[in-house]
Amino acid sequence: MTRAYVVGAGQTPFGAFPDESYRSLFQQAYEAALESTGDRVDAIDVDEAVIGTLGVGGRQLGLSGPAVTEHVGLDGVPCSRIENACAAGGFAVRQAIQAVESGMADLVVAGGYEMMTDMGSDRTKYWLGVSGETEWERLTGTTFAGVYAQMASAYLEQYDVDTEALSRVAVKNHANGAKNPNAHLGFTCSLEDAEGGAPVADPLSLYHCCPTSDGAAVVLIASEKFVSAYDGDAVAVLGVGAGSDSVGLADRDTYTAIPASERAARTAYERAKVTPEALDLAEVHDCFAIAELLAYEDLGFCDRGAAPSLLEAGETDLDGSLPVNPSGGLKSKGHPIGATGTGQVVEVFKQLTGRAGDRQVADATRALTHNVGGSGGAAVVHIFERGGRA
Amino acid sequence: MTDLAIAAVGAYAPHDRLPAAAVREALGRFEAAGVERTAVPAVDEDALTMAHEAAERALTAAAIDRSTLTRLAVATTTPPVDEEDLTPRLVSTLGLEPEVETGLLTGSTHAGCSALSSGLEAPGPALVIASDAPRGAPDDAIDHAGGAGAVAFVLAPEGGASVVDQHTVTNAYPGTRFRARGDAEPTGLGITAYDRQAFAETIGATADGVETDEVDAVAVQAPDGKRPYRAAGRLGVGTDAIQRCATVHELGDTGAASALLSLAVALEDGAERVLVAGYGSGAVATTMVVARDETVEVDLDLDAGEELTYTQALRRRGTLSSGEPAGGGAYVSIPTWRRSLPQRHRLEAGVCPDCAAVTFPPEGVCDGCGDLVTFTVHPLPGTGTVEAVTTIQQGGAPPEFVDQQARSGPYQSAIVSFDAPGGETVSIPAQVVGEVAVGDRVETVIRRIYAQEDVIRYGFKIRRRPHERTRT
Repeated sequence: MTRAYVVGAGQTPFGAFPDESYRSLFQQAYEAALESTGDRVDAIDVDEAVIGTLGVGGRQLGLSGPAVTEHVGLDGVPCSRIENACAAGGFAVRQAIQAVESGMADLVVAGGYEMMTDMGSDRTKYWLGVSGETEWERLTGTTFAGVYAQMASAYLEQYDVDTEALSRVAVKNHANGAKNPNAHLGFTCSLEDAEGGAPVADPLSLYHCCPTSDGAAVVLIASEKFVSAYDGDAVAVLGVGAGSDSVGLADRDTYTAIPASERAARTAYERAKVTPEALDLAEVHDCFAIAELLAYEDLGFCDRGAAPSLLEAGETDLDGSLPVNPSGGLKSKGHPIGATGTGQVVEVFKQLTGRAGDRQVADATRALTHNVGGSGGAAVVHIFERGGRA
Repeated sequence: MTDLAIAAVGAYAPHDRLPAAAVREALGRFEAAGVERTAVPAVDEDALTMAHEAAERALTAAAIDRSTLTRLAVATTTPPVDEEDLTPRLVSTLGLEPEVETGLLTGSTHAGCSALSSGLEAPGPALVIASDAPRGAPDDAIDHAGGAGAVAFVLAPEGGASVVDQHTVTNAYPGTRFRARGDAEPTGLGITAYDRQAFAETIGATADGVETDEVDAVAVQAPDGKRPYRAAGRLGVGTDAIQRCATVHELGDTGAASALLSLAVALEDGAERVLVAGYGSGAVATTMVVARDETVEVDLDLDAGEELTYTQALRRRGTLSSGEPAGGGAYVSIPTWRRSLPQRHRLEAGVCPDCAAVTFPPEGVCDGCGDLVTFTVHPLPGTGTVEAVTTIQQGGAPPEFVDQQARSGPYQSAIVSFDAPGGETVSIPAQVVGEVAVGDRVETVIRRIYAQEDVIRYGFKIRRRPHERTRT
C-alpha cells in the first residue's frame, strides 16, 4: 500500500460573504491550494475529486460535487460528494486518502464548502438541525445546541464542574483565532465575557457555541509516486481512523463521551503507530465548548473527567505541551459545515510546513485532526507528520 | 333506563389562571359576571389533550379493563379541527380497542349531556368525555368568561351513581350564542334580557319532567358566573346547592364540559343526589338526576397553579406571534409520523426475545445484543428518570417549535431513562412540560408536539411526577 501525502492546502477566510457564491468560494480555496504548492501542481495532474458539503440552504443538493469542480475546470475528473454532516470535509479527505492508498489515483482534490449566512434566520434554523435525529430528537424541540447542552448538563453533573470549564474553551480558542487572518470571529474574549453570554441552551451560552460561516477549503492528497517526483513540501498521512454511532444522543451508551471519536482515534493511533504523547498539536471539533472537553478525553489527551483541569493548566494553550485548535477552532475560526474538516487539514499543513504565522506552534512535527458529524453520529481522525517521505 | 351507572370520574383543568382583575386592568372592564379567574390552556393543550388527561384519570380510578369498553362519546365545542374525527386519536392515546364505537358531539355546549346520554345507552361499559376551552373575541363577554377543562366518566354496570331521571327540551331561540360558518370564535347579539330568558325558560322547562326534591347539589351549565343562579327558581332548587359544585368562578366557562364538571365536583364533595342541568344555545336543555348508591371513584385535578398577566395570556393564544416560519430542511411526512403513533401515543417499545433488552422504537437492531430480532411489543408504563436536560432559549428552537416558544417562552428538552419490563430501562428524548432536573422522576403526558401543514401532531411529553424526586 502506498502512503498518502498532503502536498498543498488552501482555504478562503471563514466568515460571512454576501458577495460570494459557493462556487466562487470553492474557486478561491482551490486556487489557494494550488498556490501553496508554489504552482508545482496543475489541474492536469488531478485524477479524482472528493467534495464534502451538507448543502445548507438547499442550493444544489444533487451533484453538489461536480457543481464546484467543473467551475474550476476539473470537469471530466471523477467527482463524488461526501455527506457526513459537519464531518463531510474530514471524510472527503479520508476518501481522497483511500483513493491514493488503493493505487486508484496519484493526486486527489479533497475539498469542502458551505454557504450558511445568506439566508434569513428562519430559514437558517431549518437547516441547523437537519443532521440531528429528525423523528424523535428534533421533535423534542432541539437543534444541535440543545443536544450538546444535554451532553454538557450530564458532564457538569457527573464531574461536578461549572460552566467556567466551558468558558475557558472560548477564551483559549478566541486567543488563537485572533492570530488567524482567516478566522470568522478573530477577536479575543475574557473569561467574564464568556461567562456572561446570552443563554442559548442551558448550560450553553453564546460564547460556548461556534458561529455559522461561509467558506471553502481544499487539500491536495498525493501518492508516494507523485511525491517522489515532487520537490515541494509534503506532509505524510500517518494514520486515519473513522467511526460512526447512533444519530440520536439518547440511543448512545454514554452522553459524556463521543464513542465514534474514541473509535476513530483508536484506529488512527494504531495505523500511525503513535500515541497521543507523540503529538505536537491538534485541531479538534469544538462546535460547542463541551465538544472540545469531550475531545480531549475521547482522543486520549487526558483521563475521563480531567479535561477541565488540562485546559485550566494551560496544557492546550498555544504554548502548552499540546496546543489544541491553534487556528481558533470552530469557535473562533468558524464552522462552514462542509469546509470545516478540510479546513482543519489546511491548518495542520500550514503548521507542519512552518507557514502558520503568529500562531505557529514551535517545532511542530506531528499533528492530529478530529472532525465530528452531528452530535457524534460520525467522526474521523487523521494523524499527519512533517516530511515523512518514504 | 340503562343498566349502566357512573363507576368513576376523572377531571382535569389546565393549572394556569387568568384573574378577572388582570383583564379589567388591561381593558378597563370585564364582562363575565361572577367569574373570578379562568383556566388557560398551555400552548400545547387543546380539547383533545385535556380529554386524554381527564379520561386517563377516570380509567385509572375505575381500574377497568380498557378492552371491555364498548363506546367512547366525546363532547366539545372546540374540536382542534373543524372537520376530522378526533376520537380515533383518543382511542389510540388511551389504548382502547379499535372496535370501540365512537361518537364526537360538537356544535353546542349541550353536547356534554348528549354524550352522557349516549354513553348510558351503550351495550356495555362506556367512556364519556366532555372537554372544552371556549374562546371569543378579546372584547367579548364569551372570551372574558372562556375557561378550560375536561371531565370523563367511566360507565359500567357496577357503577355507584345512576342516572335515575332525565328530561330533554328544545326551544327555538336563535341568536343567543353562535359561531358563523368559518369563524373561529362564537359570538352573540348581546340582547341581555332575551339571552337570559332563553336560558332560564329552556332549562326551567326540563325541570317540569324530573323530580328535583331532595337533590343536595345542582350542576348547572355556566356560561358565566351568574347565569346558573338565575335558573334556581325555575329548577326549584336553592342557590347554595348550585354554588356547592360550581366550577365557573375558578375555571370560567368550560362549554360542553360545564355542567358535567360540576357533577364531578359534587360527587367528589360527597353529594348523594345531584341535579344536572345542561344547556346549549339554540336552545336545548337536559336535566338528569344522578343518585349515588355505591362508591364512585373520583380523581380530579382542578387545582390552580400560576397566575398569568393579560399580556402572557394574549401571547399564549398567539395574538403576538406570527406562526411557524417558512423554510425547508428536515421534514417528517405524515405517513412517517403515523408509523410512530404506537410509540408517540402509548410508548410501545420492543423487548428482545434473546437478551430481554428494551429498544425504542421497536425497529432495527436490538439495543442490547445488536442483533436483528423480532421484538415483543410492550407499552412502557411511562415513568422514568431524567438523565440529561437543557433549556432551549430564544433562538435555539427548530422552526417547528418557534411558534410555541414565541407564545410560551423557553422550554426544556430532556433525555429520560424510562422504566421498562424486567427492570430494564430505555433512554428516549422528550420535551418537558414544566421544569425538571437531572435525577427527577417523571411521567408522560399527551400534548400537541407541533402542527405542520395544518395537521396537529400529538404525542408524549414528560412532566415531573408529583411528590416523587430521587437523585441517581
